[in-house]
Amino acid sequence: MIVRTGLTGAFPRSEALVTATRDLDRGRTSADAVEEQFARAEEEVVALEQRLGFDERTAGYLRWPDLFRPFAETWEGFTVGPLTRWLETNTFYRQPILLAPPGRTPGAIAARLPPPLLRSPKTARVLLPGPYSFSEMLDNRSGETDSSLIHRLGRLLGDEVKELRGRGFTTFLFSEPELVVRPPEGPHAEAVVAGYRAVAAALDGGTSIVWTYGADARPAFPLLDRLPVSVVGVDLADTEVDHIPAGPSRTGLGLGVVDPRTTLEEDPAEVARVVRAAHARRRSSTVWLGPGAPLDLLPWEPATRKLHVLPAVRRALSEGSA
Amino acid sequence: MTRGLFPTQEIGSLAKPRWQLLGQRSEPLDESAKEELRSWDARVGFASEAPEVRDALLAGRPRETSPDAVRDLGALFGLRFLETAGLDRVYDGEARRVEMYEHPIRQMHGFRFGGHVRSFDNKYYLKAAVTDEVRLDRPYHIDEFEFVKGHARAQPKLPVTGPYTLADWSYNEYYLARQPGWKGRAARRAAQQEFVVDLARRAVRPTLSALIERGCRVIQIDEPAAGTHPDEAAIVVDGFNAATEGLDAEFTMHICYSNYADLLPTLLEAKRCRQWAWEFANRDVPGHDGYAVLKLLAEYGDRREVGLGVVDVHRDAVEAPEVVADRIGRAATYLGDPSRIWVNPDCGLRTRSLEVARAKLVSVVNGAALARAAFENPRR
Repeated sequence: MIVRTGLTGAFPRSEALVTATRDLDRGRTSADAVEEQFARAEEEVVALEQRLGFDERTAGYLRWPDLFRPFAETWEGFTVGPLTRWLETNTFYRQPILLAPPGRTPGAIAARLPPPLLRSPKTARVLLPGPYSFSEMLDNRSGETDSSLIHRLGRLLGDEVKELRGRGFTTFLFSEPELVVRPPEGPHAEAVVAGYRAVAAALDGGTSIVWTYGADARPAFPLLDRLPVSVVGVDLADTEVDHIPAGPSRTGLGLGVVDPRTTLEEDPAEVARVVRAAHARRRSSTVWLGPGAPLDLLPWEPATRKLHVLPAVRRALSEGSA
Repeated sequence: MTRGLFPTQEIGSLAKPRWQLLGQRSEPLDESAKEELRSWDARVGFASEAPEVRDALLAGRPRETSPDAVRDLGALFGLRFLETAGLDRVYDGEARRVEMYEHPIRQMHGFRFGGHVRSFDNKYYLKAAVTDEVRLDRPYHIDEFEFVKGHARAQPKLPVTGPYTLADWSYNEYYLARQPGWKGRAARRAAQQEFVVDLARRAVRPTLSALIERGCRVIQIDEPAAGTHPDEAAIVVDGFNAATEGLDAEFTMHICYSNYADLLPTLLEAKRCRQWAWEFANRDVPGHDGYAVLKLLAEYGDRREVGLGVVDVHRDAVEAPEVVADRIGRAATYLGDPSRIWVNPDCGLRTRSLEVARAKLVSVVNGAALARAAFENPRR
């Protein structure tokens, strides 16, 4: 079993960055001082990712106010809407409102990527909203049907991937909680597959990861298994191992083994046991381990502490298989 | 005491006036803060009850008074602000509280604060982890209630954060660690159940009991987190029942921004809850009747009072009294009994300016009067 590790969503802001951004809002500091804190915190996340032996770096996506904001602020057809609860959490995002069929603004998302990733695109993991979750979590007033919109967002994200491939990026993680929270059916499910086909066509040998969280993935597996992607990830805090279908899989198996809903640190031996059990069901050559859901549900310090379980599990698995 | 139809009440916090914030920090008031103090005093009449504090603040000599005395003046302001708006049940606008989570948690043992979590944009909140068995250091809200009791002219209604919300807004470390094996969904739920009931029994109930001993008769249990995990409605109920077990007071439960249909009928198992105080106005928009969910209460045969949210606390536009009266009328039709309706804002008004909050409260009172007149004299 080959084990790969990495972040699967945004990382929390450091306490210094919390202070700086608060002070900025209150007129107590300058934008330059906040920029300095952003840069410092991003470098700290990259250093942490390197220290923990992660296969790609994300730099934490600390500047993104939420998963959709860079798109809602730069793509055509969108405006930024009201605060909306983020899944079953006490955190919120500003719901994008789609007023007309969406259109990409070339270069806009690349300009919003964390600067350390732009300097080293080959080792970066680009985090993007998945087309289905994007479609489900926005307010569609464009007149376009939901299934058409899912497909269109898939094509636009495919174009985004194509542009970023041209800039040297190779690994793309699509955040898709809604695939398991509200599994699509019928035309919506077909639109999801079509959307990811558009992404696959743009990948050009790159890696695509669909990461699900927020609910038990069992009902969604028939669809997840059809997605033309490199890896499908499930959050083991929500999905029991025996809910993962048995049998060989075409895609890599992603397992969320760090739970951002609690500060309790995972036991590496217990995690290794569960990973082996999941792998035994799926028999994929590679297992991708990471947080089950974005770690920004935690403060910086406990998030940092909890991530140390990943190299420990990697070691435990390699010792176990030796 | 007999009340007419549609008595009115507040729900929670008000924005703190700048004079209070500066005064608490012993900073001299600038001209605008002085003007704010003077003008609100002229409108609601509170500062003459503590002239030495007022004079020290207006004279630019905050160190001649104390932060506690300024907080007292803030509480008096909150009380008079709500009373002179015409409400039947009032509190102090939560003038002494920073927020509804951190203060209660800091009165307990077993918690550790580990840093800030982003709520949205550049807004953050402190979130504690429970790392040991919950123990109450000392009952909280006692001093503030004693002060309100000593000064209120209308009936006090005290808001207390409920055990489910305290637990949901914390990281569950201690109780989760006690669950054997993999910490999946089933383990998390069992641990949460244990945590909520422990919080209710060991911290919230003793606090409620102490408040009741001191004469507190109406207590609002705030459970804004109740709708976060609809499948945990039974845990919300267990927490409420454990917190109020054997206590004699009038309990209400405030929930907001939730899909109430998802919580019913489980929520109806809350035994000693006399009133559901819920937000409705926020969802009452063209094309969507925000009050239709009340039909469910009628269908389930629930006969409790409803604290009816009739003004939206997230918009500055002030609802006209006629809009409020229309909302009350619809709710009365759905419930089939106007006598069970109390009228209030959707939630605490602290996100609005004092000026807007005041206008909305006056609209609550005037709208209730319009509805009362329509129901009591239907031919007029």
